[in-house]
Amino acid sequence: MSLNKSMRVFIVDDYTTMLRILRNLLRQLDINNVEEANDGETAYHMMQKCPPDLIISDWNMAPVTGLELLRKVRADARLKHIPFIMVTAESKTENVIIAKQAGVSNYIVKPFNAETLRTKIASVCGAMT
Amino acid sequence: MEPAKISRLQDSHGFLDRVIGELRSVQSPQKDTLVAVLQYLSDHIRTTRSEIGALRGDQAGQQLFGSTADELEEIVTETGRAANRIMDAAEAVERVAATLDAAPQNALVDAVTNIYVATSFQDITGQRITKVVRALQDIETKLTSLMDAFGPPEASAIAAPAEAEGDERLLNGPQLEKNVSRQTDIDALFESLG
Repeated sequence: MSLNKSMRVFIVDDYTTMLRILRNLLRQLDINNVEEANDGETAYHMMQKCPPDLIISDWNMAPVTGLELLRKVRADARLKHIPFIMVTAESKTENVIIAKQAGVSNYIVKPFNAETLRTKIASVCGAMT
Repeated sequence: MEPAKISRLQDSHGFLDRVIGELRSVQSPQKDTLVAVLQYLSDHIRTTRSEIGALRGDQAGQQLFGSTADELEEIVTETGRAANRIMDAAEAVERVAATLDAAPQNALVDAVTNIYVATSFQDITGQRITKVVRALQDIETKLTSLMDAFGPPEASAIAAPAEAEGDERLLNGPQLEKNVSRQTDIDALFESLG
């Protein structure tokens, strides 16, 4: 299965620097249809209006964390099928387990490299072409 | 002496002093040891109260915790600006790379990718510093609770913060954004000094 590079990716992080990094790295993967938000609440409302094909979210955000966003997405009939990658500095085993139980599709620990991002996207969305 | 009802730790210091006073008037060979222990406790409470008061520094106008938190938050802001400037430059390189042949283009894109990834240091350091700021705020809250429990220190007992002397007092490091003087301000001041 080849990756649809026109897919709409939604990135969520409270650090604008990280949003810019993700956007640049996605562009290098020829993924240019990217939406972004600085917090889980805003992201969720935007996604409800126009569901993306992939969600890449930080965990540590306020007022709605990445984990809470994940749970909202998985509880929403229109969004629950969307691949969700958690990109976070929270690297404790417990965090990964909880995220997995909440339905996360994959988990990237910061700091990460471009290859890791590419591989994880490929694993949840299909092989990169 | 009537039995005292101690509802707050704040009363303990005065209460101890009253107990010591009462004990001194008791005719008993064992009283000296007990008085010495209670006096030690009383002195210790007084010292602790003063040290906490000095650490909080409210009365000396030294907002130690607030100022430290401000400095740390400034680091987050500054590294954020630096990371964005680095990415501005990297994006410019990437645009030029797109006009080159495949080999140099790929080499430059790989380098730029590494720059993008490396700038994530700002996010990581930001999160770590935020944790430190929260810890400082937590300690300050606990100190405030301790102060409330012990009562305010005697004004004369507050230790003044250590003042730097000589040229050392001029070394305060980078100023916070809100306090910083612009180059134009410095130039104007320099000119005004003749």
